[in-house]
Amino acid sequence: MSLYRYDAIDAQMLEDRSAQFRDQVERRLSGALTEDQFKIHRLMNGLYLQLHAYMLRVAIPYGTLNGAQLHKLAEVSRRFDKGYGHFTTRTNIQFHWIKLADAPDILDSMAEVGLHAIQTSGNCIRNTTTDPYAGATAEEIDDPRVWSEVIRQWSTFHPEFTYLPRKFKIAVTASAKDRTAARSHDIGLKVRRSRDGELGFEVMVGGGMGRTPYLGQTIREHLPAKSLISYLAAILRVYNRLGRRDNIYKARIKILVAALGAEEFGRQVEAEWKALDQSALDVPDVELARIRGAFGTDHFEPRPAVSATFEARKTADPAFARFARNNLAPHKKPGYSIVNIALKTPGEVPGDCSADQMDAIADLAARYSLDDVRVTHAQNLVLPHVKLDDLPAVFDKLVELNLAAPNLDLISDIIACPGLDYCALANARAIPIAQHIAERFSDPVRAEEVGELKIKISGCINACGHHHVGHIGILGVDKKGEEFYQLTLGGSGAEDAEVGKPLGPALAANQVGQAIEDLVEVYLRERKGDERFLDTFRRTGVAPFKEAVYAEAH
Amino acid sequence: MTQTLHALTANRLTDGIVVFWSPTGWAERFPDAELFTDAAPAENVLAQAKAQPTVLVDPYMIDVKIEDGQPVPTSYRERVRALGPTIHPEMGKQAKGGPIIEAIQKAAGAARSTGRLSLIRRK
Repeated sequence: MSLYRYDAIDAQMLEDRSAQFRDQVERRLSGALTEDQFKIHRLMNGLYLQLHAYMLRVAIPYGTLNGAQLHKLAEVSRRFDKGYGHFTTRTNIQFHWIKLADAPDILDSMAEVGLHAIQTSGNCIRNTTTDPYAGATAEEIDDPRVWSEVIRQWSTFHPEFTYLPRKFKIAVTASAKDRTAARSHDIGLKVRRSRDGELGFEVMVGGGMGRTPYLGQTIREHLPAKSLISYLAAILRVYNRLGRRDNIYKARIKILVAALGAEEFGRQVEAEWKALDQSALDVPDVELARIRGAFGTDHFEPRPAVSATFEARKTADPAFARFARNNLAPHKKPGYSIVNIALKTPGEVPGDCSADQMDAIADLAARYSLDDVRVTHAQNLVLPHVKLDDLPAVFDKLVELNLAAPNLDLISDIIACPGLDYCALANARAIPIAQHIAERFSDPVRAEEVGELKIKISGCINACGHHHVGHIGILGVDKKGEEFYQLTLGGSGAEDAEVGKPLGPALAANQVGQAIEDLVEVYLRERKGDERFLDTFRRTGVAPFKEAVYAEAH
Repeated sequence: MTQTLHALTANRLTDGIVVFWSPTGWAERFPDAELFTDAAPAENVLAQAKAQPTVLVDPYMIDVKIEDGQPVPTSYRERVRALGPTIHPEMGKQAKGGPIIEAIQKAAGAARSTGRLSLIRRK
């Protein structure tokens, strides 16, 4: 597969990192380090203390794994956890039942296949996310993995940007359809070409969720691609200098951009950029070519655009046809397809994957998808390069694994954070709400009739479940000691990005399912033509939806 | 009005597992927790717990009420800690069952946990 391979320097870095953490853990266990002294080291290795145990968040740089790495994650979950992992909205994976004393051994084991927990916590530049269809879709202007890898190499352990005012998240998208929620990031980069064909980026800054959601604002319509790193450095320098460190809730760059205004923030970035020695920072052409070369080695066989095997199965098997309609996406090469594996089987935990499932998906990738697996910010997986002829075999295996839910981007494809079932920060549970809604809409015929509807659930205002940009967002709140849920409508994390608007007073847990039913009924009644839920909401406004949900209360 | 009792809890340093102070030391299950009717002796044990940084992380006191004759943590966050993830009844402390676990599972309504202060800094 065309996965960037870590070189000897990278391998040594991971080995050293693990040895350092082993020493830090030993010093903590002996009492040589206090918890406060140790915590910064623990977090910089992705290790959190949650409700029931330690949680280890493992980095999956720009959501790309090979089979050996996925097998390793399965092994870690079996040896050191309870046999499952949870894929996150940052396209990482986390294990919820880790022992502190085991953590160094886990890091050692993962380093064997180039996995680590760097940039999964702390106030540094976090794992850069990108389009899970990168290198597979014909829509893309350039392969965004190349630029994500450039950012990874530049940002890892960057001495100037390791202690920022707050965490910092970057997304790179390269297609008209945004599958990265770029405008919800501290920096969103959209690959584009100028009128004269020069490759570059639209630079969006100051997006974010949390308690104060903002959409990123464009501070540069076209940054020449060769200047990416120096320009990112200029943004980070302005943020590092002016970002607030006195108040954790006002420390993200979105607050700074909002306070200064995007125009003034952009002006300061441009001034900083011009003062920098750009040639010393930007990636030399030869190095860029080397990184690009690592992603361009996939060997696609020349194949007919139509597969008789695929077409025959679609005709004969309605379940397969439904899966094909909803979970496949066009590939750039004739005779191939992108396969989405929704980790959203109704009744299961969104984003969870058992060790056996991980092993089986790794085997599928090795056999059918050039050993390539992607993780999406919607907590799903992708096999990016599957021959049309092989789709029936892949589908049959996914059915066997209980992973063939034909519901990508449909109402039961729900993003949910771990919520109060695991998370020390949460105010309310998120997963049981997602399970309840998914089961209510588990009829695939009805789900298809409703069409694209993205529900996103967070168990607290930190918004790990991206509720602000859900077509229907659900936020768990603590209302006089009870779990309540605040609904928002009309959000989007896609190319038509928008922050959702509150529907009305928060609902009790047992009212949420019916409220979703009511919202769907209003949509089906009001929709015109091919309108999605979001389109109808944008046309009608909140009034008919609000009336339906709160009618009984009046 | 039901009487408010107190218990002491923490996460164990080596594995992060939730523990409760019991008459015989730190125990993994809430049903074994020592319940204090007065805050003062509980504060005394809490002070001792804070002096054990190589055993415990972040010890604190929680409120407990009696429901149907069984002790139950008042806050639902503490109930989840005493049980395990509600979506996986086979995991965590709830797996062993018993009358107190059942009482915790049935309990509803709560006040905000006394242990939720500054969590974003603690995580």
